[in-house]
Amino acid sequence: MHEIHVGTDLREKNRLIAEENRDLIRKNGVVSLNIMSAPGAGKTSLLVNTIPHLRDRYSIGVIEGDLQTSRDAERIAELGIAVYQIQTGGVCHLDASMVHSALHRLDLDIIDLLFIENVGNLVCPAEFDLGEDARVMLLSITEGDDKPKKYPLMFRESRLLVLNKVDLLQYVDFDIDKAKGEALDINPDIEILELSCKTGEGIDGWISWIEKFYGKCRNG
Amino acid sequence: MHEVSLMQNLLEVVTRVAAKEGCDRVRVIHVRIGEMSGINEDSLRFAFDVLSKGTVSESGALEYERVPLMTRCRGCNGEFHPNDLVFSCPVCGGMDCEIVSGREMEVDYILTDDDTGMEQGDACGCNSVE
Ligand SMILES: Nc1nc2c(ncn2[C@@H]2O[C@H](COP(=O)(O)OP(=O)(O)O)[C@@H](O)[C@H]2O)c(=O)[nH]1
Ligand SMILES: [Mg+2]
Ligand SMILES: [Zn+2]
Repeated sequence: MHEIHVGTDLREKNRLIAEENRDLIRKNGVVSLNIMSAPGAGKTSLLVNTIPHLRDRYSIGVIEGDLQTSRDAERIAELGIAVYQIQTGGVCHLDASMVHSALHRLDLDIIDLLFIENVGNLVCPAEFDLGEDARVMLLSITEGDDKPKKYPLMFRESRLLVLNKVDLLQYVDFDIDKAKGEALDINPDIEILELSCKTGEGIDGWISWIEKFYGKCRNG
Repeated sequence: MHEVSLMQNLLEVVTRVAAKEGCDRVRVIHVRIGEMSGINEDSLRFAFDVLSKGTVSESGALEYERVPLMTRCRGCNGEFHPNDLVFSCPVCGGMDCEIVSGREMEVDYILTDDDTGMEQGDACGCNSVE
């Protein structure tokens, strides 16, 4: 038999398109966040709670990734925000080419802040660079405090970890210090915030994190 | 998980390489998959069986090489296999470690028949006009 060396990384195509996305985003002065979590951790709730605090000062755009439905996009559109819905048709993550088409359909030159809600999944989204400026991961405390060790890549690849649903801390067995400790073991640079989309506790800290990050991206 | 989309990419790569080499049948496809890639071998094999139908890879074998996770400590430069996915250096205890291997998802090589009797294809294995 005849051996043919290939040596092709199967993510190479995604990487190239992600670079195009990054250029497109930068050129238009947009700052983008890729929001990742398991299904139901509160990504859409967080966006719905965040937008009212920022919309006076920033022009906001949202890309919604979903397996089948457009419910989340409708929740954002109700707020009068530019939203583009990607239905992945069962694909368990967003990839750079899906986001690329979405970018061409948004009015990028007027958008300051772009939120990308990824498909609910703790494994695959971490593998796909979308060209975003930063990855934010949500972990709701109802999911259990053993998640960092089970899904290390997600924690490694995120700049910020948001622990959501802290209003439920008294009802569930979630050791918040243990979860934080393990997240930091896996990624010593990760920043961690605690909040509740239900009570609004901790939202201020999240808003100022976004403002600070926006400033850092814009001023180099 | 994303084994299906990964397999689509894989088969596309193999088809292009095979066309470029002028062969119409691939015997073996050797892939290297990192321990931390999130890929499930069974799902990948299943995706291969389903998606390879009608391609040059149809009668080929998928060889699956699992690449262990290795990290390097930025403190002391030691390389180690992290236990329990907590990246702390067993030598100096440092937590600042980078991944050296274990995230691979690549087609390493393919094996084809020695003489396929076909002519070398064009530089591009793509059939469509782009
Ligand atoms: N108790 C509580 N429920 C929440 C909180 N945030 C979100 N939820 C609920 O969790 C469910 C899933 O939220 P959603 O935003 O759709 O999650 P997504 O799938 O990550 O977008 C909804 O029923 C929300 O009302 C929170 O902070 N506390
Ligand atoms: Mg949602
Ligand atoms: Zn060390």
